[in-house]
Amino acid sequence: MEEVPIIEMKGIVKIYPDGTKALKGVDFSVKKGEIHGLLGENGAGKTTLMKILSGMLPPTEGKIYVNGREVRFKSPADALANGIGMVHQHFTLVEVFDALHNIILGMEGHGLFSKIDVDKARAKLQKLMDELNFQVPLEVPVETLPVGVQQRIEILKVLYRNVDVLILDEPTAVLTPIEVKELFDVLRKLKEQGKTIIFISHKLREVMEITDRVTVLRKGEVIGTVNTNEATPQLLARMMVGRDVVLRIQKPPKEPGEPILRVENLWVKGDRGEDAVKGLSFEVRAGEIFGIAGVEGNGQTELIEAITGLRKIEKGRVILNGKDITGRPPKELYNLGVAHIPEDRTHMGLILDMTVAENSILGLHWNAKFTGALNSIKWNTVKAYAQELIEKFEIVAPGVDAPVKSLSGGNQQKLIVAREVSKNPELIVASQPTRGVDVASTEYIRNYLVKLRNENKAVLLVSADLDEVLQLSDRMAIMYEGQFVGIVKPEEVTEEQIGLMMGGIKDES
Amino acid sequence: MKADRSMISSFIKPIMESLIAVAIGVLIGAIVLKFSGYSPIKAYVALVKGAVGSAYGWSMTLSAATPIILTALTFAISARTGIFNIGAEGTVYFGAIAAIVFTNMFANPIWGLIGGIMAGILWALPAALLKVYRGVHEVISTIMLNWIAFFTALYLVLGPLANPNDPNKTLEVPASARLPLLMRGSELSLAFIIAIAAAIITYYILWHTVLGFELRASGYNERAARYGGINPKKAIIWSFLIGGIMSGIAGATEVMGRPPSYAISQGMANIYGYGFDGIGVSLVGRNHPIGIIFSGIFFGALKAGATYMQIDAGVPLEMVKVVQGIIVVAVAVPGLWDLVKKVVRR
Repeated sequence: MEEVPIIEMKGIVKIYPDGTKALKGVDFSVKKGEIHGLLGENGAGKTTLMKILSGMLPPTEGKIYVNGREVRFKSPADALANGIGMVHQHFTLVEVFDALHNIILGMEGHGLFSKIDVDKARAKLQKLMDELNFQVPLEVPVETLPVGVQQRIEILKVLYRNVDVLILDEPTAVLTPIEVKELFDVLRKLKEQGKTIIFISHKLREVMEITDRVTVLRKGEVIGTVNTNEATPQLLARMMVGRDVVLRIQKPPKEPGEPILRVENLWVKGDRGEDAVKGLSFEVRAGEIFGIAGVEGNGQTELIEAITGLRKIEKGRVILNGKDITGRPPKELYNLGVAHIPEDRTHMGLILDMTVAENSILGLHWNAKFTGALNSIKWNTVKAYAQELIEKFEIVAPGVDAPVKSLSGGNQQKLIVAREVSKNPELIVASQPTRGVDVASTEYIRNYLVKLRNENKAVLLVSADLDEVLQLSDRMAIMYEGQFVGIVKPEEVTEEQIGLMMGGIKDES
Repeated sequence: MKADRSMISSFIKPIMESLIAVAIGVLIGAIVLKFSGYSPIKAYVALVKGAVGSAYGWSMTLSAATPIILTALTFAISARTGIFNIGAEGTVYFGAIAAIVFTNMFANPIWGLIGGIMAGILWALPAALLKVYRGVHEVISTIMLNWIAFFTALYLVLGPLANPNDPNKTLEVPASARLPLLMRGSELSLAFIIAIAAAIITYYILWHTVLGFELRASGYNERAARYGGINPKKAIIWSFLIGGIMSGIAGATEVMGRPPSYAISQGMANIYGYGFDGIGVSLVGRNHPIGIIFSGIFFGALKAGATYMQIDAGVPLEMVKVVQGIIVVAVAVPGLWDLVKKVVRR
C-alpha cells in the first residue's frame, strides 16, 4: 500500500481580490522525508501556493491534508501547529537582536510580565543545533552576520517551532555560490533528520542538484511532477516555459571601436555612507556590450547611479566621448547621448500613476520635438510618438492614455526600453533589463541590446542573472564588494570560475 | 474599448466620490439639526434658497467662492507636487496688505494685483527654501509662518495702516483702484473672473506645459522624476511660488473687490480663514483646478446660505457652522485619505 503523503493539496484555487486567478485548481503532494522542488517562472503561482500551505493566505477553493487528515489554516500559527513552517525570501529578523532572541521571538511567554527564560531557550536551541549538526552564533546581533548565516537563523527559527515540513522560498536568490553550497549541505542534513523540505526556485541547476522530486507550475497550473533523477534541465525548462527556450542569442562577432565611456578610479558611497564602489576603472567601447556580473549589493547599483548622474561621485572621473561628465546632472547626460534603463522600473523608470504617453517622454519631455510656444507640451505629437513606440516594440497596452500601472511588468519594461533606445543614444546603461519580465519580452529585450551593439552603440549591462551577462557580453567584469575581481571574455571562462569570482575568489590558475 | 472605460472611470470616479461625500455630509448635518430641535428641511430650504434662489443669492455665493478658489489653488498645485502647503492663510494677509499699500501709492488696480502677487512670492519663499535647502517639513514651516504673518499683519492693521477716519478698519483701497462690480448693488466683482482665470491658468500649467509635467512627475515619484532629468528641488520651489501668487491675489482681490469695506477690518475678520477653507475646497475638488471652481462655488453657497438659515429657519449661526463643518469633513475625507496614503507610502 502506498504511503500517505505528509502534505496533500487538492484542487487549490486562488483568486485575488483584484480578480487575478493565481492558482487554477492545483493538486500537489509531498512525501515524508523528501526534498521537493517547486519550479516555475515568476508569476507561476509558486509562492501563492506555499503561502496557502503555510496559512498566510486562505485558498478560494480546495482542500489541504496533513498526514491524510484534512486541515484548515486560519493563520501561520495554525500551520506551525500542524508542523508546517515557511522561510520567506525576505528575511523577517530583528536586525539588532541576536540570533537567540530572534528565534524565541513570539514564543517568550504571553503574560505582560512573564519572564523570558533565556537559559532554557538557549539549552533547547543548542540541543536542536547539535542534533541537526549545524551551528549559528547565538549572541551576536544578526545585522553583523553574513546573509547566509542570517538565512540559517531563519531556518532555525522555524525548526525551533517543531516543524516537520520546511518551505523555503527562493532561498538562494541572495546567496553567493559558496553560500548556496553550504545551504545545500544544511538541507541534506535536515533531510537525514527526517525533515521534509519544499524548495521553491526558478533556477534549474539548483533544482536538479538538491531535490528528489520536482513539481512544475506554469500560469497557476501544475504541468507535472517528475523524479529529479529521471529529468533533464532541458525537460524541466520546457515544462516551465511551455516551449523550447532559445538559450542562445544570435550575436555575430564584431570588432569594437573607440571607447565611448571611460571610468577612472571611481569612488562612490552607498546609502549608509559606506564605500560602495572602490576605485573602479574601465571603459566601454562603441559596438561592445560590457557586462557586469555579481551578486546583488556589491556596489553595482551605486556604480550605475554614479555614472548616470543620480549619485554623488566622491572621487574619480567619468568621461563620455572624451568629455568629462563627472557629477553632471541626468538631464545634461541625456542631452549628450546617454540612455539609462534603470534596475527599478516601478520606482525609478516609470511613474506608475501617469499615462503611457506621459511616461513615453519622461527624460526627453523638454525636447523641441514635443514642445511648442510658452514651453507647452504638444500632446498630440506625444501621443502619436507613444503610439509609434507601442507598435514598433510590440507593447501590449490598452492605449496611450491608460495609466502605466495598468500594463504588465514585461510591457512596462518594454516601454522603458523603447523610450530609452529611441533616444538614439551613444551609450546605453542597462541595469537588470529583464528582471521580472516574461520569457518572450526577455528574449526581445536581449536581442534588442545586441542589435544596438551591432549598430555600433556602447552598451553597459549590469545583471544579477549570470546567464544574461554570459550570453550578451563581449567583455564582462565580475563585481565583488565594490571592485572588479576580474574582467574576462565570457567564452574564455567556465561558469565555475565565474561562480568563484562572484564569491570574491580569483582563480589564478 | 478598455482604454475608454478606464479613462471615463478615472474621470467620473472622483466626481462621484465627492458628490457622495457631500450627500453624507448633508445627511449627518440633518441628523444633528434634528436632534438639536430644528427642522432640517426648513433649514436646508432656507440655505439653498438663500444661496442660489435669486440673482442676489448667486452673487453672494460667487463672491464668497472667489477667495477660497484662489487659496485652494495654492494647496492644489503643491499637493500635485507632493507638498502639503498650508501657508495660504498667512499669504492672504500679506496679499491684502500689499494691495492696500500699493493702491494707496499708485491708485491703480493693476498695481494692487502686482502688490498681491509680489507679497505671495515673497511669503512663499521662506517655506520653499527651508524645504529645499534645509529639509524643513513644509507643514511645520507654513504653520509657523502663518502665525508670524498673523501677528505682523495685525500690527500693521492696527498701527501703520490704521484708518484715521474709521477706527474699525485700515486705510481703504482708493475708488480708482477698486475692481469693477459685475452686478450693481452686490459684492460680486471682477475678482471672481480673476479667480476663474487663475484656475484655468493653473490647469494649463499643470497639464499642458513642461513645468507642469515636471511638477506632477515630482509629486508622484521624486526618484523617477530625478531619473527623468527633472530637478525636484526646482519643482518644489516653483510650486510654492505659483501657489503663493494665487493666495497673494486672493488677499488683494478681497480688499480691492469686496464691498462695502475695501479695507481690512480691525480684527482682520474679513480676510481670516480663507487659507484654511481653501484646503477643504481643494480636497473636495480633488486637487484639480477645474474641480476647485465647482467645489469653491459649493463652499461659497454654504457661506452665503448660512445667513438665511439663521434668519429664515431660526438656526443659530453656531449651528450653521457645525453643519458646514460636518459637510466639509465628510467631503474632505476621500481626498484627505488619498493624500495620507501617499504620504505614508513615501
